[in-house]
Amino acid sequence: MSTRPLHAVESLAGDLRAWLPAQRWFAAKGTDLTDVFVERAVMLADGDPALVHALIDADGERYQLLIGVRDDPPEHLHHCVIGRLGESYAYDATQDGELMAGLLALLDAGADHGGIHWTKEPDVELVTGLRARPIGVEQSNTSIVFGYHYILKLFRRPGPRPNRDVELHRALHRVGSAQIADPIAVVEDDELVFGFAQRYLADAAEGWATATASVRDLLAEGDLHAGEVGGDFAGESSRLGMAVAQVHADLAATMGTEVVSPDRLTEAVEVMHGRLDAVTAEVPELAEFEPMLRAAFDAVRHLRESQPIQQIHGDLHLGQVLRTATGWVLIDFEGEPAALATDRAKTRSPLRDVAGMLRSFDYAAFALLGADDDHQRTTRATEWSDRNRASFCEGYASVAGADPRDQAVLLRAFELDKAVYEVAYEHRNRPDWVRVPLTALRRT
Amino acid sequence: MTVHDATAPDAALGLEGIPHTGEALTADGHLTEPQAEDFKHARTVPQDLLWYKSAVFYEVLCRAFNDSDGNGTGDLRGLADKLDYIQWLGVDCLWLPPFYASPLRDGGYDISDFRAVLPEFGTVDDFVYLLDQAHQRGIRVITDLVLNHTSDAHPWFQESRQHPDGPYGDYYVWSDSDEAYSDARIIFVDTETSNWTYDPVRGQFYWHRFFSHQPDLNYENPEVAEAMLDVLRFWLDIGIDGFRLDAVPYLFEEEGTNCENLPRTHEFLKQCRKVVDDEYPGRVLLAEANQWPADVVEYFGDPDKGGDECHMAFHFPLMPRSFMAVRRESRFPISEILAQTPSIPDGAQWGIFLRNHDELTLEMVTDEERDYMYAEYAKDPRMKANIGIRRRLAPLLDNDSNQMELFTAMLLSLPGSPVLYYGDEIGMGDNIWLGDRDAVRTPMQWSLDRNAGFSRCDPARLYLPAIADPVYGYQAVNVEAQMNNTSSLLHWTRRMLQVRKEHPAFGLGDFTELGSSNPSVLAYLRRHLSPGAPEDLVICVNNLSRFPQPVELNLSDHAGWVPVELTGGVRFPPIGELPYLLTLPGHGFYWFQLTPEEGEGP
Repeated sequence: MSTRPLHAVESLAGDLRAWLPAQRWFAAKGTDLTDVFVERAVMLADGDPALVHALIDADGERYQLLIGVRDDPPEHLHHCVIGRLGESYAYDATQDGELMAGLLALLDAGADHGGIHWTKEPDVELVTGLRARPIGVEQSNTSIVFGYHYILKLFRRPGPRPNRDVELHRALHRVGSAQIADPIAVVEDDELVFGFAQRYLADAAEGWATATASVRDLLAEGDLHAGEVGGDFAGESSRLGMAVAQVHADLAATMGTEVVSPDRLTEAVEVMHGRLDAVTAEVPELAEFEPMLRAAFDAVRHLRESQPIQQIHGDLHLGQVLRTATGWVLIDFEGEPAALATDRAKTRSPLRDVAGMLRSFDYAAFALLGADDDHQRTTRATEWSDRNRASFCEGYASVAGADPRDQAVLLRAFELDKAVYEVAYEHRNRPDWVRVPLTALRRT
Repeated sequence: MTVHDATAPDAALGLEGIPHTGEALTADGHLTEPQAEDFKHARTVPQDLLWYKSAVFYEVLCRAFNDSDGNGTGDLRGLADKLDYIQWLGVDCLWLPPFYASPLRDGGYDISDFRAVLPEFGTVDDFVYLLDQAHQRGIRVITDLVLNHTSDAHPWFQESRQHPDGPYGDYYVWSDSDEAYSDARIIFVDTETSNWTYDPVRGQFYWHRFFSHQPDLNYENPEVAEAMLDVLRFWLDIGIDGFRLDAVPYLFEEEGTNCENLPRTHEFLKQCRKVVDDEYPGRVLLAEANQWPADVVEYFGDPDKGGDECHMAFHFPLMPRSFMAVRRESRFPISEILAQTPSIPDGAQWGIFLRNHDELTLEMVTDEERDYMYAEYAKDPRMKANIGIRRRLAPLLDNDSNQMELFTAMLLSLPGSPVLYYGDEIGMGDNIWLGDRDAVRTPMQWSLDRNAGFSRCDPARLYLPAIADPVYGYQAVNVEAQMNNTSSLLHWTRRMLQVRKEHPAFGLGDFTELGSSNPSVLAYLRRHLSPGAPEDLVICVNNLSRFPQPVELNLSDHAGWVPVELTGGVRFPPIGELPYLLTLPGHGFYWFQLTPEEGEGP
């Protein structure tokens, strides 16, 4: 590539204005993009193909792009072309296995290009020369898998150091946690974190897929109950509860825990009420549950016990856990996506994670049901949810030494708060699904 | 000299007129025993030191297979008459549970003379005939040998209890009290309350890990070890291809231990292996150690020597895990146990099975899983025995042919040599109303003739009634009918054995699980490299769910290669950079060979 990278990418600004909003990870979907300018562009590999690392400002939002440049891109890259650069084509390089394979070499070499540091974790020996492939489409990241060994998550909207996901993984790795994918390397500059590489769990299946396979099995049965069908998930739920409790114990051991007086909970109650105010205004169907919800939140004010708080996962659900051949693993410790970075970093009650997972079991149970499903199927889904929620809590209790259900008032408030959040999320993103949290509220 | 009085050591054998142990006593009080030179020897098969690594085994109960003399019980000559069928099916090796002289209080595992055949099965000469006929067809034969104990009717025990100071006085583990080795668990919890039993004849307690009528041999006594090595030599001289060594973990005892897997037990197995390697190369020892694979690998011996104990061992937990995985529609019960299975020495091989003559063993699952398996597979309490489930494959799977094919396909493609159980190739049923473990030991169903074509006797004289229910009865399920129907389970099984034989990867290849995001699909790669031959790469994909499933496999290491389906030879689209998408019907499976480039078929 003859031109300097900054100029090259700047010349793409017009194309990017059209291209960015079409990407899954683009934040301000549905809005017209007016200003696109290039903050920085660094050449990672020159020649044909060339690879450029670019930071783009799009109407005030910062994005990380990896741009490939080829004179004659092969057919499987045509779908990700951004625009022309003279005689060449510029395209989304994350889809180019050949260029992405080079990133592993950068990590292994501890490369430092234009202020971007490619740094292995201290105890890591990398296997190199692996084939790279992009996997799946994610909401906010793009991930590259190297062989069967590593996965590099590229943050499309890179945030400031320290990155919570990286820090929590490092902390858990220090205490030898078996419930995480080991941290391998970090890509960052002095200010921002661009990527995080971890051991790739090639044998893993997502918790959501394993749980819904069980629900599907139950719903196909005429007369068997949730505890009687072959696809019973209770054993897995219990083991998952044990894994989550272990991660909580490890986080407390390595990052500390403190006990706060019950009046600190009133802050949390105010936040819950605040969220309910906002969501009710947006989703009128929520109004019928308002008295029940407010009463449940206010019940927390009467608690007299002190509460332990600590670092937690922060956004725990069945999509954030992987079943591997050796057990359950938790991923993505970034915290709740909608929260501000400062809020994400806060220590919180571990019951928040429990509540998130309990809600997720409910989601799994009802996800396969249609809007007007019959009583039989609804009963079965309820059975599945009850059984697996209970098993999860039992598993959790067996490691934590205390059953989360003993904290019924607080757990209920956290769960309901989560359901309110879900109503808002579904209303905005997947209106067909808003019935799932609403059905749950109706059952309480 | 033939002794007939009731205290004679051979009195309980019932072998008058047949060569047997204890026909006479030497001047110093030793029992005379039959020698291999007294019998003809079978012809040999071409030597192949690693045959067992790719072989398909077939477990057949002599009693249950074919009755040649019309007395209602199968016998060695009858079995020999059916060798053409076994050869047609594609079996490489027969495994015969014990056919030795025995009072039959434990299915023949209570051996009263290691050097004589149970009269109802025939004679040593009949066994030589069977072995010779099998070898003529390229089929090998192994049998069970119980090293740990004998029947209390064995002349060794009779001598031991009557003459504590005689040459056999120290052949068993005797004690004045029943307190020693209290850390050893009791195996048959249904029937035994202690591992010690008082013998009024000798006035002492004797040690037994199994039934009280099966006293444990005393391996502390070097004469016992030598006598048992001579038992091995007796049958190996005649021509047998190997032994499944029954209950091997229990040979030695030591205070303060659980008396299982002790170092000296391994030392003795190394001695057995040395006899085989030095004197009978190409014969095999298969350990029956019902333990976790991580413990069982000890029985292969030193990996640096390619293994110097048993050539093979059964992989027990894989079987209940397979059933569990399909019921759960999740690959993890299988993935987990394979991930926990250590690598084994170069010269070693697992034996894997779906069902055998024992109950479906549940010792290798957790308590929670055991309750689950009972609930799932043994809905009637009579289906349970000890810690297991007594069912055959077909009734365990509700006679669902898709599931039977899926299970068999997994058995034939997972790492290890598959062991088929007689009758499962035609989908035979069981009879849970028969006592003990007899539910799965009913007569082989050959045809819809009287007694399923198994015997010409009066039906009332059969050792066990033939299955006669409308679904699994011999009128509906038999070899003759399935031979005449090329879409039968029998023909399907035969075809799969042929395919397996064509690909060394199944027997010799390494194993890599191919993960995918679909938890209901179990996919793996079997890969065999051998000098001078093209790499054999086979991919097996199994849908454990009853519902159709998609799966995306990461095969990009083989971009450009073409999967060729193995049963029909159909070429699938070539592998590209993107994950390879397959869709499978409910309980469906695929076997593919990966061929390097587009072109003509393999």
